[in-house]
Amino acid sequence: MVNDAKVDIRNLNVWFGDNHVLKDVSFKIREKAVTAIMGPSGCGKTTLIRAINRMNELICGCRTSGEVYINGHNIYDGNINVYELRRKVGMVFQKPNPFPKSIYENVAFGPRIHKMANGREIDEIVERSLREAALWDEVKDRLQDSAFNLSGGQQQRLCIARALAVKPEIILMDEPCSALDPAATTKIEALIRRLSKRYTVIIVTHNLQQAARVSDFTAFLYEGRLIEYSDTKSVFENPRSELTKNYIAGKFG
Amino acid sequence: MSGQTGEKVIFAILGVPMLICILIFLWILSLLLTGIGTVRWELFTMSALRGGMLEMIVGTIYLLLGAAAVAGPIGVLAAIYLVEYAPSGGLTRIIDQAINNLAGVPSIVIGLFGYTFFCRHLGLGVSLAAGWLTLALMMLPIVIRGSEEALRMVPASFREAALALGATRWKAISSTILPAAAPGVVTSVILGMARVAGETAAILFTSCVLITRGLPKTPFEPVMALSYNLFVQIVALGAPAQRVFGITLVLFMIVTSLSLSAILLRSYYRLRQPWLRMKG
Repeated sequence: MVNDAKVDIRNLNVWFGDNHVLKDVSFKIREKAVTAIMGPSGCGKTTLIRAINRMNELICGCRTSGEVYINGHNIYDGNINVYELRRKVGMVFQKPNPFPKSIYENVAFGPRIHKMANGREIDEIVERSLREAALWDEVKDRLQDSAFNLSGGQQQRLCIARALAVKPEIILMDEPCSALDPAATTKIEALIRRLSKRYTVIIVTHNLQQAARVSDFTAFLYEGRLIEYSDTKSVFENPRSELTKNYIAGKFG
Repeated sequence: MSGQTGEKVIFAILGVPMLICILIFLWILSLLLTGIGTVRWELFTMSALRGGMLEMIVGTIYLLLGAAAVAGPIGVLAAIYLVEYAPSGGLTRIIDQAINNLAGVPSIVIGLFGYTFFCRHLGLGVSLAAGWLTLALMMLPIVIRGSEEALRMVPASFREAALALGATRWKAISSTILPAAAPGVVTSVILGMARVAGETAAILFTSCVLITRGLPKTPFEPVMALSYNLFVQIVALGAPAQRVFGITLVLFMIVTSLSLSAILLRSYYRLRQPWLRMKG
């Protein structure tokens, strides 16, 4: 159903020790759109997006089979540079996790380690990234303040700015609002909509309303299997699977 | 017995060791207060050749700083290896056990080892350098264990954030984890220095002499040290109580100020590092 695929996942299986977490997952993710992955806790949502930037392999006892193509290249090929992959595929975590550094240094971290710029150019990247993350106006006068002095919602937008600073193509978000209050959630959701004009956004959520509000496509994962995947409207209004229907109706979660 | 009386009994039992500690501390304090009046302060800055203690004080400081310069980097690198790189398994467990054993080796044995290996085998002779290496051996377990703890206190989310941005493992460690752990690491080095400041047996054969003409000019000359002098004064020379007391007082002040600065540093950073407070 998606032809211009940015990410093409084929027969993906992931095990943690003896635990078979993802079972034969295959689907294609559209470029410059928001794709939501929803499902009950423990269904493998987080594992699925962490397979797209190869963060799973940092956990010991993890085994992966299958292919994940990004721009037509299988990222599990031996000759893939994993650091360059993670630059291209940014990630925002469940709990805001700024570094114990200044606001400026948080955003400058990525460009610095990838030697993308220096001096004045870094200033420009920091400003552009903070503007893109809708945080610039709130912090422009206190860039040298500790990132910990920001509110939770601001910290999460800072983490988004930090990911944007290395010029990613794909942004993975792992329940980015679950630790935030409703007002901060609204801001982040609006931001996600705006970001999808320039980036491919993949967001994990177990908040159904959030999936319905922000995403163009929705995948429903249950016990490690992809149960349903379609444009968000049809998933919510006209689910094909009985499981999806029951999940949306709130019969389990 | 009701729960409440039980609670009181436990409290009383736990209170006894506390009380003993306080009594010992008060006793030391009273000794200090009674003796402090007899000390001639000009001795601190007077050369040992004229009956002062200058070379011992500076010599002790030389020994401590050098030992810290050796044990600090080695200890921190070992801790990074153990926390971040070492696979959990047989070899790591053996290394772990070896560190525990090193902490338990009697200092006289360390001193003998230092003499045989550093002084004789490596040909350093009785020297400041041999003292540094020998004291560093005693500091290592403290620095490694303290640094390990500091590294483990850094939330995993910092490491994840750095790796997700495409940092290599070493880059993530050196640019985010190590700076966050730095206060704990420095504290462990200071505690290590406090541990060996009064050490006598380890420097007895390796680096100390009773009297030198001035301070050592190179690391290959012997030094004077407070602890060693104290030992000789008491055992062999039967020095006047006043002189013994003066040396003890300086040694006491060095150890106390090291421990105190470690405590202050730790509490200062606990205030500044919110993730330490979150851990409770």
